[in-house]
Amino acid sequence: MECAFEAQNLISISLRKIQSSRTQRGGIKLHKNLLVTYVLRNARQFYMNKNVSQAQRSPPYEDAAAVREKQEYLELMGSFTELADDFYCNFTGAESDSWHCGAHQHNGQLTEVQHQDASSCVLVSPNESDLMLSEACWSCADKSWELPVPNTQANQKTVLDLDTHVVTTVSNGYFHSDCCAQPRQPQGAQCHKKRKMDTSYFIVDPEFYLPDFVPVPFKRMRSDDDSHSDSDQLDNTNISNLISVLGSGGLSEFVSWQQTDLEQIFGTQTICLKHTLFTGSGWTRAIEAF
Amino acid sequence: MAAPGGDMQWCFSQVKGAIDDDVAEADIISTVEFNHTGELLATGDKGGRVVIFQQEIENKSLPQFRSEYNVYSTFQSHEPEFDYLKSLEIEEKINKIRWLPQKNAAQFLLSTNDKTIKLWKISERDKRPDGYNLKEDDGRYKDPNSITSLRVPVLIPMDLMVEASPRRVFANAHTYHINSVSVNSDHETYLSADDLRVNLWHLEITDRSFNIVDIKPTNMEELTEVITAAEFHPHQCNTFVYSSSKGIIRLCDMRESALCDRHTKLFEEPEDPSNRSFFSEIISSISDVKFSHSGRYMMTRDYLSVKIWDLNMENRPVETYQVHEYLRSKLCSLYENDCIFDKFECCWNGNDSVVMTGSYNNFFRMFDRSQRRDVMLEASRENSKPMQVLKPRKVCAGGKRKKDEISVDSLDFNKKILHTAWHPQDNIIAVATTNNLYIFQDKVN
Repeated sequence: MECAFEAQNLISISLRKIQSSRTQRGGIKLHKNLLVTYVLRNARQFYMNKNVSQAQRSPPYEDAAAVREKQEYLELMGSFTELADDFYCNFTGAESDSWHCGAHQHNGQLTEVQHQDASSCVLVSPNESDLMLSEACWSCADKSWELPVPNTQANQKTVLDLDTHVVTTVSNGYFHSDCCAQPRQPQGAQCHKKRKMDTSYFIVDPEFYLPDFVPVPFKRMRSDDDSHSDSDQLDNTNISNLISVLGSGGLSEFVSWQQTDLEQIFGTQTICLKHTLFTGSGWTRAIEAF
Repeated sequence: MAAPGGDMQWCFSQVKGAIDDDVAEADIISTVEFNHTGELLATGDKGGRVVIFQQEIENKSLPQFRSEYNVYSTFQSHEPEFDYLKSLEIEEKINKIRWLPQKNAAQFLLSTNDKTIKLWKISERDKRPDGYNLKEDDGRYKDPNSITSLRVPVLIPMDLMVEASPRRVFANAHTYHINSVSVNSDHETYLSADDLRVNLWHLEITDRSFNIVDIKPTNMEELTEVITAAEFHPHQCNTFVYSSSKGIIRLCDMRESALCDRHTKLFEEPEDPSNRSFFSEIISSISDVKFSHSGRYMMTRDYLSVKIWDLNMENRPVETYQVHEYLRSKLCSLYENDCIFDKFECCWNGNDSVVMTGSYNNFFRMFDRSQRRDVMLEASRENSKPMQVLKPRKVCAGGKRKKDEISVDSLDFNKKILHTAWHPQDNIIAVATTNNLYIFQDKVN
């Protein structure tokens, strides 16, 4: 229990460090932030393993409500596991040399392919000769989201997709792709299918996204025309923009999360916390970018 | 050469810097380096200044006073800059100073901040011309019509003046933060390293450099390690090493290919699984790498230890010294207060028999390789009487604290010794605390 608390503590401390690195004199320190992401990863893995083992050790007698809650929780974990596999398809961890990009297919059988780089995350179906993306597998090069938000008010936010560098404007909770940065085509694979999320599980927190009025100390990703001029400059901006994602309201949620029990997280409508903790979505990819 | 560090007793010689407890950020020492003869000692600070101390020549023959150093030259090497394109401030902090071997009367050194390397010429002027025909002594020009006779100007002695002038500026070659500079044994080229790249320069050419190592991945999201230090071999002009944040050292031979992305040798020690923690990656990151003077060994410093590697054996170090193992149980606190990211340097003595590195609470350690002894000493104003012998210090990790021991919980983590230097030919050491430079020498009997 102490170690779990320490893991939570480390996660919030690490996020604060990444946040404060944005305003440090001299620019973001790549080395330090890379090390912080390792701590984040380790703490996250510890916490995930601990909760998986706790979920498996269910007591013999429970009331129906608790059982239902646990089932829903396990289903959620299952979905998140799917997403975790997909999102982490290229992250090299200490426990394994590489993560396999595998989709948990309901129908048919697909062969897991250990891919070499982020741009070639595909599944090969033994039934089809051509490479194609399964609906359940995200292309690491193109992950555009279509997530309806129950917020019915007109709501314009600027969203930065961390993989495709697409800057989009969110209106009424729906994404509209405005422009695309330099396209990163995977070798030999066409990754254009968009993933449709089951919204019964997720509710998007608009605060997760970067509002236009938040002062960003670094330049946003440029358009396709500008992106060719200096790839190094782009990368620095890329890193800083990834951190900018954390600068939104999502970070304050993470900081306060250290006191929040997992069940409370499940009960809230804060998608970013659930996503980031269990699926390694946006912000974790942002951190892994280091 | 005097006896190695284990038997030796060290005496206080001098301390340079302000006495105030309130430390100005600009005064924080960021690098210390002796020149090749040990006559000059250069320091760089966070304010972008370089201060050079010179050994007193008159005292060289008096053993007990041979470590007296006085200010020789002070100049502003780097100024803060602003990158308007990236909206980034570029710190003026001097990350590294490296002396060039002396070729003539002038001295040359390379100093670098995060982005720009500069070659400085430090020269003495102790004579001035006198007896101009067309100029008065105060510099005013004479009316040519008033000149009735001519004379030959002569050089007359003047008070010594030390001038520092920037001779070369090597800029715009590093996207990431420069962490190392190393002069080649050919005395014509040098390398500079940032987080992801190593560049090779010619000292005479400023408008281009050759990239010899590039570990930047095509997709930055795949980045897993960065370069932390790099150094040329002391004798083989084709060989250099670079260390990484994963605790790996790669030795490269520039004769193999133009781009040395593929190493010739890879030095890595497998991690002890029993020591695995949340912070394993951080504490295995190498903060400094130094070849021995002989060129046969190299030394690496990670957060808790110093390792000596034989260049002929890649799978493990030949010697490992624990600098402050008592901190292993404190890693979480050290992570919180950012101390775990401190980059300690290390250095060899002149004959490679002793290595030295810093620690916290203004402690520094020496490990005598031949006698298998080590000692921990403290740089403090309390022990700064002239020729006062330094008493060995000991840290109590737990249990009952003995007399004169200090408890690990009492250590001051704001007082850290990151930079140390050893005179190339003598037992004189320079130890930098936050804003003070301590000079110690071995006790003369």
